[in-house]
Amino acid sequence: MNAPITTVAATTHCWKCSAPTSGAHFCAGCGKIQPLPPGTDYFAFFGLAQKLTIDLEALEQRFHSLSWKLHPDHFARAAQEERQLSLDRSSQLNDAYRTLRDPVARVEYLLGLAGMRREGQKKQQAPPELLEEVFELNESLEELREARQSGGTGAQMSSLRAKLEAAQHKFELLLSDVDKELARVRSEWDAALDSGADETARKKLMERMNEILNRRSYVRNLVNDVRQELVTRDS
Amino acid sequence: MSVGFHESQITFGFHESLVTGHESLFITQGGTHKNMPRTVGIDLGTTYSLIAYQDKREGRPKCIPGPYGTPLCPSVVSVDADGSIVVGEAARRRLLTQSERTIYSVKRLMGRGPADVQDELKIFPFRIDPASKNVIRVRLGDRVFTPPEISAFILRELKSWADEYFQDAVTRAVITVPAYFNDAQRQATRDAGRLAGLEVLRLVNEPTAAALAYGLHEKKRGRVAVYDFGGGTFDISILKLISTTDGDIYQVLSTNGDTHLGGDDIDNALQALAREEIQSQGVDLSAHPDALQELRKALIAAKHELSSESRTTVKFPLPGGSVYFREIARVEYDRLIHPIVDRTMVPVRQALADAKLTPAEIEEVVLVGGSTRVPLVRATVERYFGRAPHTELNPDEVVALGAAVQADILEGGVADMLLLDVTPLSLGIETMGGVVAKIIPRNSTVPAGAAEMFTTGVENQTGIDIHVLQGEREMAKDCRSLARFQLKVPPGPAGLARIEVKFLIDASGILQVAARDVRTGEEHSVEVQPSYGLDDAEVERMLEESIEFAEQDFSERQLIEARNEAESVLTATHKALAREQAEAPGELSAEERRAIDGAVTALRESLAGTDYKRIRAFVDVLNQATTPLAERMMNRAIGTALEGKNLGQV
Repeated sequence: MNAPITTVAATTHCWKCSAPTSGAHFCAGCGKIQPLPPGTDYFAFFGLAQKLTIDLEALEQRFHSLSWKLHPDHFARAAQEERQLSLDRSSQLNDAYRTLRDPVARVEYLLGLAGMRREGQKKQQAPPELLEEVFELNESLEELREARQSGGTGAQMSSLRAKLEAAQHKFELLLSDVDKELARVRSEWDAALDSGADETARKKLMERMNEILNRRSYVRNLVNDVRQELVTRDS
Repeated sequence: MSVGFHESQITFGFHESLVTGHESLFITQGGTHKNMPRTVGIDLGTTYSLIAYQDKREGRPKCIPGPYGTPLCPSVVSVDADGSIVVGEAARRRLLTQSERTIYSVKRLMGRGPADVQDELKIFPFRIDPASKNVIRVRLGDRVFTPPEISAFILRELKSWADEYFQDAVTRAVITVPAYFNDAQRQATRDAGRLAGLEVLRLVNEPTAAALAYGLHEKKRGRVAVYDFGGGTFDISILKLISTTDGDIYQVLSTNGDTHLGGDDIDNALQALAREEIQSQGVDLSAHPDALQELRKALIAAKHELSSESRTTVKFPLPGGSVYFREIARVEYDRLIHPIVDRTMVPVRQALADAKLTPAEIEEVVLVGGSTRVPLVRATVERYFGRAPHTELNPDEVVALGAAVQADILEGGVADMLLLDVTPLSLGIETMGGVVAKIIPRNSTVPAGAAEMFTTGVENQTGIDIHVLQGEREMAKDCRSLARFQLKVPPGPAGLARIEVKFLIDASGILQVAARDVRTGEEHSVEVQPSYGLDDAEVERMLEESIEFAEQDFSERQLIEARNEAESVLTATHKALAREQAEAPGELSAEERRAIDGAVTALRESLAGTDYKRIRAFVDVLNQATTPLAERMMNRAIGTALEGKNLGQV
């Protein structure tokens, strides 16, 4: 049994001909572009269930096809209201596509919809299992910065950079592990939806996803910090 | 006489042939295009501006030529002593004689404040009025203008070319901007359009416009990199060209650039070198602004030479009588401009990284902009992408042509092409501690939006301040301030007010803001105060003032210009002949003298009439007839200066 597609209240009507529209992009009766009903989420926009595995090719095709219909360029000579609606709808389309296309953003968005996205209390707080590595890394970063400021020798700088590069590599592997974990939970979620799991089960899954996202965010920031330092040219 | 056109399409006129005096047929197209509101595409460039339209019959875009027969209008504006505005080639000539009333490269000042351009002032002769606050005001002679007003003069000139060409008024336009232009720079461009009497339907990014023209021409598909190196700005855009059942999609994946980097920088590097060497010859050019412009002109000519020759020579007579004689080899030139070309590769690497592509994955590379004629640029781009870039399309015209195609799309003339562009810079809001919260990331497809909820922090707070910025840095002070606005709320407990603010970047890349009180559902008015631009009231005021400048009829202006040119060329010829007689009698052959006399007479005759095209034609004839004379005079001048000196002393 497939997960139900989020439905939008069927109380929306066309502003032009008053036919019921069920939140569709265009009125089935007169064809005019419609305003977005409040609460339409990105999944519904694309006519998708709130599942976390998405066929990217199909998504892109749908994106292109909707772009043809909604883009302001094709409303340049239409009335002011239609132009504004096209602007709103196409910005929603672009935002939806951008979010659903990225596997991490997709999860963040889903959690956000359910009110389950809670970022780490302090952004700078290291997850406990990473404390030692993070400590070492921060040490290396400091050493490099100090050496740079006080004019370390070529040999010193090289060895410090090598140390940092090793740390960067380690954290990139960690990041890739976290991503794999996230991918596993995404599949679990989809399976849960398909088998009609209850709210408690779904909440548990979402809590796990939230924790993984926080960990991922932390590791990714570390990787970026190191990358920044290494990119800085040492003369 | 059968001419093969339907009669309603043509008007006949008769025009005396220049040389033989026979009457010949002079056909203009008018007729069918009357009463059709026409949208044109305009490339408002740093060095040259162009205007183009989609020729429906031929199914392709075409540039509209100006009074000199070329579609290139130098982006130069001059204000004569009587207050009349001169634009284009005529203004460019005034750079050499009235540099304090003339301005070039005004695009560098658009959407920027006085503090932003301090570095530029060291190398560009911009006279910034001290009264400039957040909008730059430039002094030209005894008048003061803002950059959008100056750009509007250029747009008006182009508009007049189109009005003349179509024999009908043009009122709607698509104007191109560098992809990396921020919101303030875009708004300034749109303001310029308004001031020029144009309804600006859309701003299009220059590399994207070029891709449109290129795609139409080549009918290729795949991943394309557009490397656009113009007079003052550099852009790199990575696009995907796709065919779908609905038609062709031009989707921008990423864009990056530098709005302070262009051919002007190459010119300035050459000028810095020349001025230093001239200084050591004992001449200080800073006291001679006109001579500086002559030097700039000579160095630009040398730069153009070096695009096809391996060496060039600059022979520049200095005030005081000596001569600056300098041979420049391509090797030395490359070394001089290497850092400038390297700078272009930084945004290129970033754009590829953002598109998650490697150079090898790019299937086509397109070069746009006059500065891509520089051999070092071509070699660098070819080496980086591992393939020869496309240069079939005229790098000067391709952007205007693409803009014309976009204009046609907007007019509904093309239903099977779609442009999906992106915003180049992240949009953010300043939060506590001066940190920027990004709400729309860079390279988001436009239109793009974000909604943020705002509330009060303390009891009885009556206003919520919002500061909007563009940029990639963490701190607000390192980003570009776009605008500030305040939401007024009635007094109440902290956290009670709930205002949703919607930020929308439209297809032109310009920000729209709308606010809504969530509790009442009512729209909340927002008054945005731009950080670097003209607000609506100022633009309105300028529009009113500009009506006071009763614009002279196009032809009338052209006639005055042509007459001025003729007078100055006649005077110069007269002086030159007298000088030659004094310095080297007998050099001038009887044949040459006859040719010059004939040209002078013909020109004088044409001055009695009102056909400016004819006057111009005879000016050209006289210039040609006096070229050998001018060369001899120049060689004599250099010879005297070099006499008694060896090359080491020169």
